[in-house]
Amino acid sequence: MEINQMDFSLTTEQRDIQKAAEEFAKGEFDPDAALEYDEKQEFPSSIWKKACELGFVGIHFPEEYGGPGFGILENALITEAFCRQDSGIGMALALSDCGSEMILRHGDENQKREVLSYIAQGEGLITMAVLEEGYSLAPLSTTAKINKEGYIIEGEKTFVTLGRLATYMIVVCQTKSDDPHAQSVILLEAKADNVEAVSMGKRMGMRMVPMDRVSFNHIRAPKENKIGLEHKGYWQLREILNELRIDAGAMGVGIAQGGLDRALGYAKKREQFGKTIVNFDAIRNKLADMYMDVELARLVIYKAAWTFDKGRPDYRCSLMAKSVASRTAYKVTYDALQIHGGLGYMTEGHIEHFFRDAKALDLFLEPGNIQRRQLAEEITGKRI
Amino acid sequence: MEIIKYTEEHKKFREALRNFLEKEVTPHVDEWEEAGIVPRSIWKKMGEQGFLCMNLPNEYGGADADFLCSVILTEELAKTHHTGLAAPLHSDIVVPYISSFGSEELKKRYLPGCISGDIVTALAMTEPNAGSDLASMGTTAVEEGNNVVINGQKTFISNGILCDLLVLAARDPSEENPYQALDLYLVEADTPGFEKAKRLSKMGWRSQDTAELYFSDCKVPKENRLGMKGGGFLMLMQNLQQERLMCAIAAVAAAECIMDRTITYCKEETEFGKPLSKSQENQFKIVEMTTEVKLGRTFLDKLIVEHMEGKNIVVEVSMAKYWTTEMAMRVADGCLALHGGYGSLEENPIARAWRDARVMSIFAGTNEIMKGIAAKFMGL
Repeated sequence: MEINQMDFSLTTEQRDIQKAAEEFAKGEFDPDAALEYDEKQEFPSSIWKKACELGFVGIHFPEEYGGPGFGILENALITEAFCRQDSGIGMALALSDCGSEMILRHGDENQKREVLSYIAQGEGLITMAVLEEGYSLAPLSTTAKINKEGYIIEGEKTFVTLGRLATYMIVVCQTKSDDPHAQSVILLEAKADNVEAVSMGKRMGMRMVPMDRVSFNHIRAPKENKIGLEHKGYWQLREILNELRIDAGAMGVGIAQGGLDRALGYAKKREQFGKTIVNFDAIRNKLADMYMDVELARLVIYKAAWTFDKGRPDYRCSLMAKSVASRTAYKVTYDALQIHGGLGYMTEGHIEHFFRDAKALDLFLEPGNIQRRQLAEEITGKRI
Repeated sequence: MEIIKYTEEHKKFREALRNFLEKEVTPHVDEWEEAGIVPRSIWKKMGEQGFLCMNLPNEYGGADADFLCSVILTEELAKTHHTGLAAPLHSDIVVPYISSFGSEELKKRYLPGCISGDIVTALAMTEPNAGSDLASMGTTAVEEGNNVVINGQKTFISNGILCDLLVLAARDPSEENPYQALDLYLVEADTPGFEKAKRLSKMGWRSQDTAELYFSDCKVPKENRLGMKGGGFLMLMQNLQQERLMCAIAAVAAAECIMDRTITYCKEETEFGKPLSKSQENQFKIVEMTTEVKLGRTFLDKLIVEHMEGKNIVVEVSMAKYWTTEMAMRVADGCLALHGGYGSLEENPIARAWRDARVMSIFAGTNEIMKGIAAKFMGL
């Protein structure tokens, strides 16, 4: 019997997935290696490969496209477990299939067969080039001219995750100049198509996910590379962003939980003034606040994911997901760092990179205030 | 009404200092951040210009300057976009232990070098198991003839790699009362048995050489003790008012600097086709943060005046250290958010400022300790 009523428990299968992800992360995410990847701003390729081999990437892809056919709640559980163990590695793995949802929801049979199984098997990475200078999503300055053979793409995108590493790149392009919402989504084979990607340099957080500036100089793509409907890309993107916000929310919950785990562990063993510091109100009540915040954020993320999987996506809940979870991740890791005292500020304390990653998550994709604005539009019914 | 009365001379001093820092410091900070340390040569240059230990008397080579010169120095350093050149730590926190409690002989031996920049100092209190709780210190100092033999470990010591002279807190194991067991000793860097171990990697303050220090049978002459035997704890307590006031000065200065730069950024950069500063959301955010900065400044300036009048303001200074350091972090965080994704790029000064701001609520006594001190002296 399928439960459709309010029930906050995970199914046995979901718990198994969660447990498997936690065990994988504990076994494979070496804490010192994590600090090194962070320092070098390097994508953790070998861990990603293993995660793909064990089926942790693309768990929401249907069987015919290389996945086991679970929902985005299961995907969120994996993301959360990974980020809980290590914020940096967790985010890197979660974003290794970033954009595949565009193909999953809007791609044709060929695109799904070709790309999704390739990604799930860990043969390569995928990315989505959306943002531009000035953050405007409509109109975009990157254009795709349509002719008989296909498209010619011109323009520049910023903050493209894994731009230099990805095999596939999904590009959102303006297709009409007189209608800001007329856009198409085009699939490129980044390296083969001579897309130029340049690093945006060192960042304060999320360093294992290289971010690049990508330029398209007269890049040609055949017609069949269009994902979804011509001129409808803007609306497709809005929908996909909503899905991505849920996974980004799961990152935030994982980072926050990881911060809480570490703070709790440290507070229980650190002795000052003749007792373990967990006995001081200032510490124990802070831990209680952190616990409350993590649980609240988790409820929002799970609700957003669950309703999505039930075919009743809750747009408002998705908007809240990333905003609430990244804010929570920031607050909780701020306190976790504080509880660690001087050690918290040191790299070797293994907590400061959680804090940096939490802030970087808030700034990633779209700053938190953009979701707030959209939520305001939703609940007031008024756009500005 | 200005709370602090800066004289023309102060203003001239600020200008000269600013010119010096713009020329000798700011252009190099990226390199220093990468290296994890500042070069010794900049300490020398600071000394040559008379920018170190300015308050010390002329007889040791100092300028006999007032505390406002230290305030100005801390404020101007905040604008250099790095925290590695820890001159205020040296001049206004560590060296005062020598000038206030050292024997005349020690003062004659060390103060001129502290002023000229030939001697860089560090203060070694924190240990892996003694952070907030100083009384649980494990480093021991045992008298042996004319020497004191030091054994133990210190950590998170600023200037730890560069330092030539250390003010070290250690415990006499034969004294049972932990508050009477502490003493402060001057330890020269080349003393056998004193080892500067690894430089620690940190979230921010990357150009500041924070290190672990080890002592194994390190022999220091007895005369290198500061003050009377057993007086260490009291000396630490006495000087902490200024140390924490210095933190508040640095915090407010950092917040002002971040705020100024962010306002400029918001006027220049556009989002969705209009300057960031033209959205009501951003305007209110900027106004709220600027209000906090100004509240911090007002409180701080009052405390600076009272500190100079020699008042005991330990409660207010504890409050100021706690509030201004958290305010600076709130401002850094809000300003980073105003920069959007671009704020996450290290090429943007706000990213470093944000990383640097986070430590202030931890060092020089965590903010939890500040609240504890204030509560105690408020009779709670």
